[in-house]
Amino acid sequence: MKRRSFLKGTLATGAAAVAVNAGLLTPSTVLADWNKKAFAAKKVDEALNGMYGTATATTSGDISLKAPAIAENGAVTPITIDASKMKGVESISIIAAKNPTPLVCEYTFASAAEGYVSTRIKMGETQNVVAIVKAGGKLYKAEQEVKVTIGGCGG
Amino acid sequence: MSIKIRMRGKAKGGLAEVKALIKHPMESGARMNKKTGKPYPANYINVVEVLVNGTKAIDAQWGGAVSANPYVGVKVKANKGDKVTLNVASNIGDKGTDSITLR
Repeated sequence: MKRRSFLKGTLATGAAAVAVNAGLLTPSTVLADWNKKAFAAKKVDEALNGMYGTATATTSGDISLKAPAIAENGAVTPITIDASKMKGVESISIIAAKNPTPLVCEYTFASAAEGYVSTRIKMGETQNVVAIVKAGGKLYKAEQEVKVTIGGCGG
Repeated sequence: MSIKIRMRGKAKGGLAEVKALIKHPMESGARMNKKTGKPYPANYINVVEVLVNGTKAIDAQWGGAVSANPYVGVKVKANKGDKVTLNVASNIGDKGTDSITLR
């Protein structure tokens, strides 16, 4: 039941996110600046432009993106991105290409952290999960398709 | 309202894997309430910080597409005895913090 309402709900995310950004967000209470523009973007390129100022990313084999091939419950999809092989990782973003607002999360690393992120994300439908890694001023990416089964019987 | 966090971490060879579970509904603002026909108001964590001995190591921004009761798994350069702190804040102004001393 929950998932059904979630899936229905995702269709309206775009409009709702804009409303949120317009009114409900109170800047005085957040710890750091929250990038409204990038998170409200409805297209992958828009989101990337909002976050990094460019949408060109090179595919790299050094990024290890771990995501399930089939996610029975799209609301809890475990994703792990390990870019510790790369030098000078500044930032990692997770993008769910067909979500109403594709940008899921963005992590910025200082020198005391490794380029590694593990989290769980919501996915509305079968789509590609894209990991964007910013290292040495350039953007790199890795993609993987995740099938979201609606019936919940694993097929 | 404060946000509840459960954290654990272990240091090994200068690198520590820190894992945390945060109790939060992560309501994206898109889910419809069928009775009223209006969406549930957005309430999600949008800023996350990881500090090692008080210095910022990771700064994260989240959207509403992170799952409910989020899991955070990160690796920081830290040794046994170092203090790792996790700070979170939501779009409606709720905050939460937790720290651990690495074993």
